[in-house]
Amino acid sequence: MSCSFLPSFGKILLILLDLSSFFIYDLLTMGIRNSTKECLIKGKKNPKLLIFGCAVIEQELQQFQNGQTEFKFLDYGLHRTPENMAKALQMEIDQANGKDYDGIVLGYGLCSNGIVGIHSEKHTLIVPRIHDCITLFLGSPESYNEQAAKHPGTYYLTPGWVEKGQTPISKYESYARSYDEETARWVLHEEMKYYTRIALIDTGVYPIESYRNIGQQNAEFLGIGYEELHGSPQLFHELVCGPWEKGFLIIGKGTPIQQEMFLDL
Amino acid sequence: MIHPGGKTIPLKPDQLEPRGQTVEMMLERLSQAVVLRDCKTVSRLTEKMVKEGLDLFEILNHGLIPGMLEASERFRKGEFFIPELLMSSRALKIGIGILRPFIQEIRKDVLGKVVIGTVKFDLHDIGKNLVIILLEGNGFEIIDLGVDVPPEKFIKEVEKNGAQILAMSSLLTSTMSWMKFTIELLQASGMHQRVKTMVGGAPVTPIFAKNIGADAYCREATSAPSVAKKLLEIEANAARTFVK
Repeated sequence: MSCSFLPSFGKILLILLDLSSFFIYDLLTMGIRNSTKECLIKGKKNPKLLIFGCAVIEQELQQFQNGQTEFKFLDYGLHRTPENMAKALQMEIDQANGKDYDGIVLGYGLCSNGIVGIHSEKHTLIVPRIHDCITLFLGSPESYNEQAAKHPGTYYLTPGWVEKGQTPISKYESYARSYDEETARWVLHEEMKYYTRIALIDTGVYPIESYRNIGQQNAEFLGIGYEELHGSPQLFHELVCGPWEKGFLIIGKGTPIQQEMFLDL
Repeated sequence: MIHPGGKTIPLKPDQLEPRGQTVEMMLERLSQAVVLRDCKTVSRLTEKMVKEGLDLFEILNHGLIPGMLEASERFRKGEFFIPELLMSSRALKIGIGILRPFIQEIRKDVLGKVVIGTVKFDLHDIGKNLVIILLEGNGFEIIDLGVDVPPEKFIKEVEKNGAQILAMSSLLTSTMSWMKFTIELLQASGMHQRVKTMVGGAPVTPIFAKNIGADAYCREATSAPSVAKKLLEIEANAARTFVK
C-alpha cells in the first residue's frame, strides 16, 4: 500500500502508522455517514473497539454506545498523578493483548504526560491530540484555545467533575476536615487566587439546571464570576465512532506515546 | 471525601532533642519536621542549630531542602495533596527565613539576579514560589514577575534588571510552548549570550527543555539552587563566592 492513499496526517503519523496492519486504512478513511448514533466504517460496519476513558467522561461517551464497543472507565483521581495514570493505563492495555480488537481508543488527552510512554504490543492506539478533557468537553482545541486566551483564570466544571466532588467548595470542606478552617482557607486561597470565573460546561447529557446552583454557589464562595458554556459532543462522538482524521493520533503497535506528538513546536 | 493527607503530627520535644544526638540526627529531625509540616519544630530546631554554630549551608542543604524534596516526591506519588505541599513549603520558608540574615552577613553580595515567572496563560505558582524561597535562601536576588507572564515582559525585565538568569515555570502542557517563544525572543534580542535560561514545572521534561533551547532543566524545585549555581559557574558549596 502506497502512502499516497493515506490522508495527509503529517509526517509524524506516517512514521507511526503500522502499514502492515491493513485494517487501519479502513479506519482512517471511514466517515460518519449520518448524524445518528450508528457508527459506519468503510468496509467494516461497527468495528470492534476497546475504549478507555476517565470516569468523568463516562456519560458523555456512553451516549454513543453502539453495542459493539467495549468501554472501560478508570479512576478520575489518576489525573493528579501522571505516573500512576500511565501505569494504570498500560496495565489495562497489556491485559487487552489476550483479545482481538480492531483498535484501542484512549479517551484521554496528554493529561500532564499521564499517557506518555503508553504503547500496545498488539493493537493500534487511537488518541485525540489534545491536552486534557476540557478540550473534549468543549469539542475542539480551537474552542479551548479561545476560552484560555480570553479567560486564563477559568475553573472549569462539568456535571461529571461535580459528581466526583471536584468543586472548590468540596475541596475546602475536605481541607477543613483534615486541618483547621484557617488553614483550609489559606490553602484554597493559594490554590485559587488567580481564578476569575467558574465556567460550567453543559455537555448535553445531564440536566444542567441541577448543576447550575452548584456552579453559582462555588463562584459566590470564591467571589468570582460565573458563566455557562455550551459543550459539544463532537469529540466524544468521534472517539467512539471515528473517523479519527483531523486531530487524532493513530499510533502503530509497539510505538510509545510521546509528549512531542501533542505539542506544536 | 476524607482528605487523605491527615493532620499535622507535631513531634514531641523529647523526641526532637534527645541528649547526645549527632549533627546528622538533628538534620534528619529538621528534615522530617519539614515533611510533617511542623512549623514550630522547624523554627526551634533551625534556631538551635544556628545558635550552636552549625554551618548555615549544612542546615539548608542537608536539613531543610531534603525535607522539602521528600514532601515534593510524596506529592508526585499521590501520597500528599496540595495542602501538604503548601504547608511543607511554609515550614521551609520559616526555616530559610531564620537562616537568611546570617547568610547575608557572610555573603555581602548576591550570587546573581534571577528574573522568574510562570509563563503566559498559566496561573500556577506553587512550584515557582517554592523555587523563589530556595533561590533567595541561597543568596540569589529574585525579580518575581508573577503568573501569566508574556515573553515581552520577561525580556524587558531581564534587560531592565541586568539579570543573569531567566527562569520559567509552567504546570500545563498547553502553556509549555510559551517557554519556547520566550527563549526565541531572548535570542532575537541578542541577550542570550549573557543570560542563561532555566525551565521547570510538572510537565516539563529534559527532552522538551533541550528541544526549546533552554540552558537548564529542573526536575523539582529543590534542585533549582544547584542548577542556578552551575549555570553561573559558582561552586556548589562555595558559601563565599560572589558574582558581581
